[in-house]
Parts: sequence; C-alpha cells; structure tokens
Amino acid sequence: MSEDILFDFLHAEIVNYCLHDNNKENDFSALEYIGFNTGYRLIERLTRDAPRFKDELETMKFICTDFWTLIYKKQVDNLRTNNHGMYVVQDKAFRFLTRISTGAKQLEHAPKFVFFTCGLVRGALTNLGINSTVTAEVQTIPACKFHIEINRN
Amino acid sequence: MTIYHLYIFDKLGTMMYYAEWNRTKKSGVSREEEAKLTYGMLFSIKSFVSKISPHDPREGFLFYKTNRYALHYMETPSGLKFVLYTDTAALNVKELLQQLYSKIWVEYVVRDPLWSPGTPVTSELFQTKLDEFIKQSALYSIRNI
Repeated sequence: MSEDILFDFLHAEIVNYCLHDNNKENDFSALEYIGFNTGYRLIERLTRDAPRFKDELETMKFICTDFWTLIYKKQVDNLRTNNHGMYVVQDKAFRFLTRISTGAKQLEHAPKFVFFTCGLVRGALTNLGINSTVTAEVQTIPACKFHIEINRN
Repeated sequence: MTIYHLYIFDKLGTMMYYAEWNRTKKSGVSREEEAKLTYGMLFSIKSFVSKISPHDPREGFLFYKTNRYALHYMETPSGLKFVLYTDTAALNVKELLQQLYSKIWVEYVVRDPLWSPGTPVTSELFQTKLDEFIKQSALYSIRNI
C-alpha cells in the first residue's frame, strides 16, 4: 500500500517537473525518455528467471500480464492485434487516471499521465529485441488505450 | 438521525470544501463569510478548551450540542479540520469523520494529481464519493422530524 502511493506521488511530481518547469506544456519527450530508460532496465530484473519468448505475441502477452501486474497491480483488460505488427492494449481503469474526475477539463490533462507509461512499454520491448512506436489515447477517464506499432526493418 | 452540512478547513483556515444535505435554514450571510465565522468560532473554542481544561487535554475540543443540533469536530495531525453538523441523536460521528478522512479525502483529494495542496477542492469525483459515503452512513438514513 505505502509503496504504491509513493510511486503515484513520485510519478505525479515527475510529470509536473518535466512539463511545467521549463514551460514545455506540450513536450512529452522528457517524460517518455524517463519511461523508456525505466522500462529498459526493469525488463532485465523481471525476466531473469523467465525462459526466452517464442515469438512477438508471447512477448506482448508477457507485457500485458506480468509486466503490467508488477507496475500497476492488475492485468490489462484487453489485448488486440491485427497480426501485422499493430497491437492495442486496453486498460479500463488505468492507475494514473483513477483519481481524476471524468470531465472535459480533466481530459485535457490526461495525456500528461500516460506518456511515462508509453516510454516504459517501448523501453521494455526494445530490450526484448522489438523496436516499436507506442502512443496512447484516452477517450474517457479512467480508461486508456495504448497503441503499439512494431517497426520492422 | 440526520446530517445537515459539512465544512472542511485546512490548517490556515481556508475553506477547502463545503457540502450540505438536509440543511433547511440559511444563515443569511454569504458562504465565505459563514465559513470565516465558523472557523473563528472553532479557533476560539479550541484555545478556550485547552486553557480551561483541568488536566492535559489529549484531543481537545470534540463536539458541542444545542437543543436542536450538534457540531462534531475532528482535526488531523496535519491540521485539516472536518466539521460536521448533525442532529442531537447522532452516534459515533467521530468514527464517521475518521473514515471520511481516510477513505474519501486521502483517496480522492490527496491522491488526485490535479489538486494542488492548499487550494479548495473542485474534483467532481470527490464530490460524488463524498455524497455516496454520507448517504450510505447510518446517520443519514433515518430522519426524525
């Protein structure tokens, strides 16, 4: 309980720090980068006892179950794919949004709280050998959809 | 038993939140003015109680009662003050206020990243949860006339 709240507060402060201090209201790159590095390192710790993943889908499943459970204390609600490198991960009660009111005014603030996680997922996948682009959309608080596009080259 | 209204003040005396349920008589002054008067009165009672107490006052001022209503007061170690007006038959209001603080205030105000400390609460989520909490409590349900 107490360690959860610590992470929540720290995350909120990192968001404030990255966005308000230098008047970079719409520049989420620093936030995404912090997430990326965190995810990249975290995956080493998480997979130390895990066998190698068979394919891309298995890697994605790992992200949606074990990875998500460790960070957000729940699994994602839905994972969809078009089998061509596009994945949609849906969390119906995304942790950083559950304490915010549902309203148009609050919805404008929502992107601030999802970019760290975009970076986190991208960093984790990168270290597992998958280059990707991760974006997020919030239509109604507290639900959030992450779009993961695998870059093949 | 019934619940009339609720004030939440911070340690500097700023009104953080006001809500009312079964309040029928208006005070005739503006809400801000009423809040200031209430806070001033509570502040005076608090210092009066601590000065006049024949022994070490552990919790200090807890509530007062008139013929028609009771005022219950809870102060957290951080100086946040919860003031709840009920009828005179209300029981265990102290527990109710404690729960309100830990389950509603801490969860939906303190953990809301869009709330900045020291500013009045505008969160609709908090409003909804507080309303649910009060209406579910045993104190609210039974009305005596």
